[in-house]
Amino acid sequence: MTELATGKWQTMTDRSQRVIRHRRVDRLYHWLMAISVIVLTATAFLPIYGVKFAWLDIHWITGVGLAALVLIHVVRAIVWQDWRNMWIGMTDLRDIWRSVYRLLGGRRAIRSLPGKYDAAQKLYHFGVAIVVLAVVGSGLLMLLKIDTPLWRRNPYWFSSDTWGIIYVIHDLTAMAIVAIVIIHIYFSLHPDQWYLARSMLRGWISRKEYSEHHDAARWKA
Amino acid sequence: MELFRYSRSIYGGGDQLIGASWDLLPWLVGAAVAFIILHAILNALAKRRGHGSP
Repeated sequence: MTELATGKWQTMTDRSQRVIRHRRVDRLYHWLMAISVIVLTATAFLPIYGVKFAWLDIHWITGVGLAALVLIHVVRAIVWQDWRNMWIGMTDLRDIWRSVYRLLGGRRAIRSLPGKYDAAQKLYHFGVAIVVLAVVGSGLLMLLKIDTPLWRRNPYWFSSDTWGIIYVIHDLTAMAIVAIVIIHIYFSLHPDQWYLARSMLRGWISRKEYSEHHDAARWKA
Repeated sequence: MELFRYSRSIYGGGDQLIGASWDLLPWLVGAAVAFIILHAILNALAKRRGHGSP
């Protein structure tokens, strides 16, 4: 009872009402990736729009860092995390159909709760994965064109035509990332999603948010 | 609007593909903004109908 009157008990109660959504290492990955993408976007596009500075070293070093982060994320997702949380299954396709049906005015569509991630988040992640893998892959190949302390350039590895295709892939995916980041920021600032934005900062959602927004059978927290 | 960037080889021959056109960037940003506006409208309509977020 004494503890009840103190803040200590209150803190313990609050902590017991929390559901861990993102562990510290995953939040660290997310924010390091965010910083990398901002640096890469700035060093890629500012010079094109007239802001002149020595961008190349910052760009390729950050790009190699992003490649390492992506590799760590892929290994961690497969080995230590439940990759099925992000897998798009038949239930997600059904949820998408129901959402579209409701949007079109269908009143009888059942509203089902998602697991850890809803269908839209999974589709978004799938798109981001393709774009980031393409930009990182093409970027790693482009390292063959520059001298660094670790290797000498060898631009003759590919023909001019092949280099043209690699550059097109890198340019298109880099521009797509700008659009993806804008949409990501919109959703993270959306009032309906604030609890998710907080979970990417603090790691947890409340037990109430868990039961309101998630199906316990699909995400056993 | 150009879709690709080309350079002319000093040794002659055809134009060489060197990347995607940067003119596409404003269009992609515009597409993102259009998506956001569409989502906001649909979200507002869904809430008015009492369906919650789409």
